[in-house]
Amino acid sequence: MNTHVSLRVRLLVWCTLVLGLSSCIETFEPDISNAPQSFLVVDGFLNSDGVTTIRLTRSLGLKAKTPPPVEAKATIFIEEEAGQRYPLTETTAGTYVSARLQLNPARKYRLHFNTRTGREYVTDYTRAKFTPPIDEVAWEVENAGVRVLVSTHDNTNQTQYYRWDMDETWEFTSAYRSYYEYVNNKMQQRTVNIYRCWTSQPSGFIKLNTTTKLSQDVVAKYPLLTLPSTSVKLRYKYSVLVKQYAQSVEEFAYWEALRKNTENIGTLFDPLPSQLTGNIHCLTDPSELVLGFIGAYSVQEKRLFISREDLPAAWTFETGYENCVRPDTVNFINVSVSFTTANYLPLDFLEGRGYTAHYADCIDCRRRGNNTPPAFWK
Amino acid sequence: MRNIYALFFFFLLWSYPGSPAVGQQLSDPLVSGEFNAIRFPEFVRQLEAQTAYRIYYQPEALDTLLVRLQVHDQPLQVVLQTALRNTSFRFAIDAERRVFVTSGTAIQPNLPDNIFTRDGAMLAAAAEAEPTPTEEEPRPAGTSELKLYEIGKKGAAPASGKVTLAGHVREAASGEPVIGAAVFVESPSTVGTTTDQFGYYALTLPAGRYTLNIRGIGIKNTRRQVQLLADGKLELEVEEDITNLKEVVIEAEKDRNVAGLQMGVEKLDIKTIRQVPTAFGETDILRVVLTLPGVKSVGEGSTGMNVRGGATDQNLILFNDATVYNPAHLFGFFSAFNPDVLKTVELYKSAVPAKYGGRLSSVLDITTRDGNKKKFSGSGGIGLMTSRLTLEGPLIKDKSAFILAGRTSYSDWLLHQIPNKTYQESSASFYDLNAHISHQINDKNAVYATGYSSRDQFKLASDTLYRYVNQTASLKWQHNFSNKLYGVLTGAYSHYRYSIKNEKNEVNASELAFGINQTNLQADFSYFRNNKHTIDFGINNIYYSVAAGSLTPIGGASLIKRDVLPREQALEHALYVSDKIDVTSRFAVSLGLRYSLFNALGPRDTYAYLPGLSKSENTITDTISHKAGASIATYHGPEYRVSVKYALSDNASVKASYNRMRQYIHMLSNTASMSPTDIWKLSDDHLRPQVGDQYSIGFYRNFKSNTIETSVETYYKAMHDFVDYKSGATLVLNHHIETDVVNAEGKAYGVEVMAKKLTGKLNGWVSYTYSRSLVRVDTGPNGDVINGGKFYPSNFDKPHDFTMIGNYRFSRRFSTSLNFTYNTGRPITLPLAKFYVGNSMRVYYSERNAYRVPDYYRADLALNIEGNHKIKKLAHGSWTLAVYNLTGRKNPYSVYYKAENGQINGYQLSIFGRPIPTITYNFKF
Repeated sequence: MNTHVSLRVRLLVWCTLVLGLSSCIETFEPDISNAPQSFLVVDGFLNSDGVTTIRLTRSLGLKAKTPPPVEAKATIFIEEEAGQRYPLTETTAGTYVSARLQLNPARKYRLHFNTRTGREYVTDYTRAKFTPPIDEVAWEVENAGVRVLVSTHDNTNQTQYYRWDMDETWEFTSAYRSYYEYVNNKMQQRTVNIYRCWTSQPSGFIKLNTTTKLSQDVVAKYPLLTLPSTSVKLRYKYSVLVKQYAQSVEEFAYWEALRKNTENIGTLFDPLPSQLTGNIHCLTDPSELVLGFIGAYSVQEKRLFISREDLPAAWTFETGYENCVRPDTVNFINVSVSFTTANYLPLDFLEGRGYTAHYADCIDCRRRGNNTPPAFWK
Repeated sequence: MRNIYALFFFFLLWSYPGSPAVGQQLSDPLVSGEFNAIRFPEFVRQLEAQTAYRIYYQPEALDTLLVRLQVHDQPLQVVLQTALRNTSFRFAIDAERRVFVTSGTAIQPNLPDNIFTRDGAMLAAAAEAEPTPTEEEPRPAGTSELKLYEIGKKGAAPASGKVTLAGHVREAASGEPVIGAAVFVESPSTVGTTTDQFGYYALTLPAGRYTLNIRGIGIKNTRRQVQLLADGKLELEVEEDITNLKEVVIEAEKDRNVAGLQMGVEKLDIKTIRQVPTAFGETDILRVVLTLPGVKSVGEGSTGMNVRGGATDQNLILFNDATVYNPAHLFGFFSAFNPDVLKTVELYKSAVPAKYGGRLSSVLDITTRDGNKKKFSGSGGIGLMTSRLTLEGPLIKDKSAFILAGRTSYSDWLLHQIPNKTYQESSASFYDLNAHISHQINDKNAVYATGYSSRDQFKLASDTLYRYVNQTASLKWQHNFSNKLYGVLTGAYSHYRYSIKNEKNEVNASELAFGINQTNLQADFSYFRNNKHTIDFGINNIYYSVAAGSLTPIGGASLIKRDVLPREQALEHALYVSDKIDVTSRFAVSLGLRYSLFNALGPRDTYAYLPGLSKSENTITDTISHKAGASIATYHGPEYRVSVKYALSDNASVKASYNRMRQYIHMLSNTASMSPTDIWKLSDDHLRPQVGDQYSIGFYRNFKSNTIETSVETYYKAMHDFVDYKSGATLVLNHHIETDVVNAEGKAYGVEVMAKKLTGKLNGWVSYTYSRSLVRVDTGPNGDVINGGKFYPSNFDKPHDFTMIGNYRFSRRFSTSLNFTYNTGRPITLPLAKFYVGNSMRVYYSERNAYRVPDYYRADLALNIEGNHKIKKLAHGSWTLAVYNLTGRKNPYSVYYKAENGQINGYQLSIFGRPIPTITYNFKF
């Protein structure tokens, strides 16, 4: 129960009540001009068993709508403590990948890079960890919803701190199926599927768990995700890819702080956010703040599918197209005018009258996903 | 036998107990004899035979009384006393060796000395004699400015030549004690005192003739002529200053600012408080307290006070000696105290008397009126949001009085008038009730009982019902051992609880509850040793019992798991002694020592953690079970209270003080302002008590015969082990709260400058404060460090603060008030940037409290219109028209951020973002 957020809502109601619905809320734009405009962001990890991918970007102002600017043309390598260097090469701008590597768990590693402007950065040395495989990704129906659970263990008791990432993919359909398309001033049977699509997104949740309290390094059915029973994601078929990472104590604390900051965006009534301190330092200017935490570990993955047939029959789902009202009718005479833009599409032939039609946002599922299933779909 | 009817009638005008002292002045012939069940007339005959006394009595009444007595060489008085013991007869002896035996009350053998004055005022009760239990009337009171009151009997003065005069100051109309009134003589040198909470005063002076001055809040300044012969009592009845609008008085005595030893204390009386405009036209003591220098709050509409850089839980709020845990109604928009029953509010910011303890920053001592002891009366008010009614009157005239008051809101009704479903489903209401009874048993004993109950309930556009209840009760017995020593025995009980109920979805239907009970038993004594020493001492015991939190399912369909935190219990004891020493007329010192001991008690399970690591669920090593009554943790320590005053001249003085406070109960709240969901937590094996040291020094100067007061006070405060929170701490239903809190260090310093004009058509005060309040968290293991272990501004660090309260009186019936407040915006932690890791957007925040919300300023205007001043009318009414936030400044109450379409937008919520006019009608009958 988040009493503080709801307290704010209540205050707002109270405020409008007392003041007769005057505007109590205004935009708040504090003067933060003395803060650095943009921080370097280092995203990724040193893969102790595979290809390391590091993305260098820059942070954005809170109001920015653009994707983050990338930090291209950096010289970047993995460095073994008193040992070898493994270079990373830039594939797309700002993204740097290494060769497939097998790091030595007895040694310590760090990331070392110089930006195009010659500033030099290093991360703290960290021991390479190896993530134990995921035993199971399961799901269960609980409290009128679906919970996705993960189980894993490490017989050597070396891991103890776990972090998980999830990529979700689901199948969906648009509000109405279109059988016709208007191409080159001609109405014709639609050939391409724009009704059934698939979409993927990172879950965005930071999931952490530790087994330090337990006598064994075992994670049993740890809940990672909860989907309400009405979720559009469950309407046809849902899949989630769980990625598991073994973490150092420091990195665990970093993600824990990031998690708490993410769950509440600062209000006077929310818990105080914490300042993030990663493990990346600028050697050129020690006062420069760099965002990110680079650990060294491997990744373990497991995919789960949930089909509609596996779920309780009584469940009904949102479609995501609730705002799409009933289709219109376009008389023959208006066809050429109505369907000239791609924003308004015909649905079906209406004997003697014309075509039913709707906005593309309600018909073309490609506006929200991809009309071909991903390679792993089954 | 001899008839004494005429005399008897005459003497009935005033009754006076038998005075053995008279006999002692004569060379007494002694009586011997064996009286074996002889009749009273025969007894009299034998006594008259042995002595030169003549004994007068009513034969009808005494003929049948048998005397059984054996005496040997006893004075007549003793013989008579023994003979009449256990009978209803009393006797009196006059200077001419006449003895008058009467039934019921003894007669007064000497004429009252003012019996022939025109107003027939009663005489001063000038004798050291013990009152008899049969005395029906209260002690006579000094009411005349012209008459000379003789105190004590000639020749009875002690060898030292010093005489103690004591008594009560009471309002003539209602019989209510006048608290904090100054009673002093000006020549040959100024010697004075102030009345205590019972209106009691005691002055020690060399025997002689004096003009006794009496000044105080809400009373007319007056004086009495006294001739001090020996120790004695003088009850003072003074007239109430009826004109409400006359002046703003902050302190009782005009020269207290300079002459008093106490520093860092602010005293407000209800009349001052009434003049300050508030948001809803409701007189609000806490809102006025917030205008005083050194007192701040994090936001508008929150009653949590921050006194000199302290946290909101560091204020001891006493309502007739019972602790109040939540002093607010409706999120703090109203204070929980009905203004009609209040008498005075005293705020100690530094130099806290040794009597008080248990909180670090301040003591807010709120006292109610005793009720009218003379006649039945009532008062009330009708405002936009609330209405209130107070009834008071005597139970036994001049001896006991009651006061009953109630206040309720009708915001519920208002909400339902709005044609909007959301509002109609909402509710917001509160009420509070006060009852107080005082009874003067006799001259030496008085009892006081107070009960208070308040309840809040709100449900605003949601399915969650918030409810909280404050209840307190206190019972006080005051006993005067002698003129110089009195004691008060106080028992008090406080209860606070809240619950948050959610019943909309029956699957999730549940109730979250928290409660705290506190029982106090304390004995406080004041000993006026002599002119130079006033000694206070006492003992204080508190038993705490905290229902630390519970979540219980409601209804059979609820799937909520029952979760109840174990009850916490503790005992807190304190002993204190303090001595106020007037070294010279210019130099005074107060030395105080309080020693407190705290014991957290079982039954409860506590956890042990890995040493050297941040306490978390992951570092628990063991669970320790404590049996019922077993000690979980014990803390104790001395608390020093020292203050000195040096008068530079009659109009200027310098004062300094040092005090240490210890606090064993902590409020946990991760919101910056006080909210109804705050939890109180007792110290235990993990949570150490808070300790605070404050050093302050001040300069005081009065101008224009004490009508303009100025002061500069500066302070430095160090606070140890107060509670701060780890980032993202969970406080509700946390079974191991120590994993989410850290012990922080704090420091605060500041300068407070104030100028007050107390009289005249234009009056009020202006104050400016520069203060800082800083926190540091670096003692814990690495994970617990905040802002790199540096000092950072606390939530209520508002360096600049300017307040002006001004009143201008056009006539007796019209006056206006203008308030102006400016302060620096409170610190806030802001999001500075967004960034992407793993394709998810994250937010980067500044260091904790690195930025500030916009500065706060507000002006309020009020117009008070008194009804006509005719004495005979049904009710005396007055209107208050006020505009709160005259300039419509949108001061942010809350600031928050929302992620919208990939952007992060900031919003500010201002609650009183435009001028708010209000109208209130108050009446008195």
